[in-house]
Amino acid sequence: MASGAPRLVVGVDIGNSTTEACCARVDDDGGLEYLGSGLAPTTGIKGTPDNAEGVRRAAGQALADGGCRWPEVDLVLTNEATPVISGLAMETITETVVTESTMIGHDPRTPGGSGIGVGTTVALADLADRPVGEDVLVVVPAAADFEDVAEALVAAAHRGVGVRGAILGGDDAVLVANRLEETLPIVDEVTLVDEVPLGMLAAVEVAEPGRTIRTLSNSYGIATLFDLDAEQTKMISPVARSLTGNRSAVVVRTPGGDITDRRVPAGSIALRGRSSTVSVEVDAGADEIMRSLARIRPLVDAEGESGTHVGGMLAGVRDAMSELTGQRPDEVAIEDLLAVDTLVPQEVRGGLAKEVAREDAVLLAAMVRTSRGPMEQVAAEVRRVLAEEAERVLEVEIGGVEAEMAVGGALTTPGTGEPIVVLDLGGGSTDAAHADTDGEVYAVHVAGAGDLVTTLIDAELGLDDKQVAEEVKRYPLAKVESFFHVRHEDGTVQFFTEPLSPELFARVVVLTDDGMHAVPGRHDLATLRHTRREAKRRVFVVNALRALEQIAPGGTLRQIEFVVLLGGSALDFEIPDMIADAVAPYGIVCGTGNVRGSLGPRNAVASGLVSGHARRRRVSGAA
Amino acid sequence: MTSTETDRPERTAEITEKGPAGRGEREDEVVLGISPAFCSFFTKTISNIPLAEVLREVMAGVEEQGVSLRIVRVKDSSDLAKIAHRAARLSGSGIGVGILSRGTSMIHQKDLAKLSNLELFPQAPLLTPETFRAIGSNAAQYAKGESPAPVPVQNDFMARPRYQAKAALLHLKETEMIEPDGGIVEVDVSIRRAGS
Repeated sequence: MASGAPRLVVGVDIGNSTTEACCARVDDDGGLEYLGSGLAPTTGIKGTPDNAEGVRRAAGQALADGGCRWPEVDLVLTNEATPVISGLAMETITETVVTESTMIGHDPRTPGGSGIGVGTTVALADLADRPVGEDVLVVVPAAADFEDVAEALVAAAHRGVGVRGAILGGDDAVLVANRLEETLPIVDEVTLVDEVPLGMLAAVEVAEPGRTIRTLSNSYGIATLFDLDAEQTKMISPVARSLTGNRSAVVVRTPGGDITDRRVPAGSIALRGRSSTVSVEVDAGADEIMRSLARIRPLVDAEGESGTHVGGMLAGVRDAMSELTGQRPDEVAIEDLLAVDTLVPQEVRGGLAKEVAREDAVLLAAMVRTSRGPMEQVAAEVRRVLAEEAERVLEVEIGGVEAEMAVGGALTTPGTGEPIVVLDLGGGSTDAAHADTDGEVYAVHVAGAGDLVTTLIDAELGLDDKQVAEEVKRYPLAKVESFFHVRHEDGTVQFFTEPLSPELFARVVVLTDDGMHAVPGRHDLATLRHTRREAKRRVFVVNALRALEQIAPGGTLRQIEFVVLLGGSALDFEIPDMIADAVAPYGIVCGTGNVRGSLGPRNAVASGLVSGHARRRRVSGAA
Repeated sequence: MTSTETDRPERTAEITEKGPAGRGEREDEVVLGISPAFCSFFTKTISNIPLAEVLREVMAGVEEQGVSLRIVRVKDSSDLAKIAHRAARLSGSGIGVGILSRGTSMIHQKDLAKLSNLELFPQAPLLTPETFRAIGSNAAQYAKGESPAPVPVQNDFMARPRYQAKAALLHLKETEMIEPDGGIVEVDVSIRRAGS
């Protein structure tokens, strides 16, 4: 290595989503003075020549921050940016199917009356012809006016017909109930009310506000009402189960009617380990998949059954990687999988009121990593782009393995020491590196990180909007209770002197960096918060433990002393605490890194590149 | 639910003044403010929906949500924002609705600046009986502290040129009916089927 005057060195870390840089002066005997840092979005996929533009921006920022100019730069160090590509797929594995309109189990916001009524289903138009003494449930089309309906029901009751309840198409239940002489259970907003079978024995139940139905959600309750024998009760039990937790429901007794909770064949995954291959059905659930994975670990490759979603997803990840590296698709190996069980809202097939059931689904994240990306090409492009800036050819060096550099950077956090574990919480993968007291570094990469959390939140809340899901993930929630105050998710109240914007009134909002944004949909704050925290726990806490188990000496977490969290998700307002809580029982000191005592979890690899260079210089200078 | 106005029985609204309107104490109420000529000089909106039907739908929308409604007539203004905001300030829940004779409507809240609003329905010709039901329903949901999705409104660029002249005439007439010293009076509304 050349010696002489202090050299201006720029370290650049090309990450999956951000490119970070720092600049420092390194003198001849390895003395090191950091001058500035910068950060820019990564351009193109990590490990491709497209990254050069992001490098120019991040490094430019670092130089400006340090008061330096491009022509002064002596050396640019970049990490060996091995691309990590991850893919996500979701597979619904159960499906609720209602046949012959056996039941209506939706929760209209405002059902009318209360109680339970049993009778034969009769169309409103035929009500006048029903014989005296017959018990009926009146089925009312959406177009009927509430006053006319109420009058017809009252008239029929006066005539001696046993009107026991009503099923309405429109949103009129309270209006009708308020105009009756007695309290009857009325269910409304049944979208496909015309398909309710007529002339069948049926029951309508509406619970008091704030309560849930008790009879139609109980198999024996239905059996009592409809006089069912043991065999028939067995048949009806899925109906009762699916009505649990509703405030109102209708059950119709039809000859062939049924409701099934069907498992959807979702294909299988073949997991290949070093010595054996295990095949696991996706519909067995996430736990079974992860157990199989643990049995054959380390995973050599995984393949999904062709013609299924899983097969398509794994093939897609493989193709993306092969395109990037020029390897043949069959040479690309899936290195890790994370399966997460989830419940997604899905419309019930055969339902009459757009009922939604929470169906089981499995969400899968797969990760592929090449041993070496086309780094020389990246370096050449970086050299070309930076030469434009410096107006001369700059020395660009690909410096060392990312994990080692990350450890080097993490060790600049005050209060840390070797042996140390670095957990890099990224967007696509969670990476862990362990450095023992001799500086020996061992790293693992596990599939699933921030993107998977966003997908989980999106699916479980049925948002169908990645942007909104991302905001729910990243920011704390609050409920706007008036124009002058909000209640935060921890229960504290904050007042404002200027009125809040009208769009926010009465809404649940996320507290983003540029103000409050309303969360669309009817989810309350408690549901949103629970979903967000559970998604983070199932991805980051699970992955942190999984990664730590794989790199801990002898596989025992108790052997680890320090864990430093790095990466974009380490900036999250709750993930670091969740991980710290999860590893605390093992006596591990865990916290968010503070690179160079001031940069938080950012810039670790870039700083590590420069400090590594300084160390090598010291060694060569001493020699 | 409601259907098109053509197959509805004709209804009339009888409005009786009860005296100056006071501030409500009940938190479960919405106040509806109507304009000076509403159901007096005018009986139909700009698109010929009977005003009796408009009142009936707003009342039904509020009732379905289990919230109570008071109706007031703002006699000294034909400005929608003023009518809606005053209704809101009289309302125990702080939520008010304003409707002009030609149908233009607004949901307001007492703490908002007068020229702001929670929901505005500026294009009267596009409002249907279903919209008025939904306006009542949303106002009631705001009063309960819920977060209803805003009532969907259609937008028709042709509505403005087509109805502009008529709207201007209706507004002039409404403004003529202002009683500068009339203040705000609480009213009783009874809606009957024509002929009954």
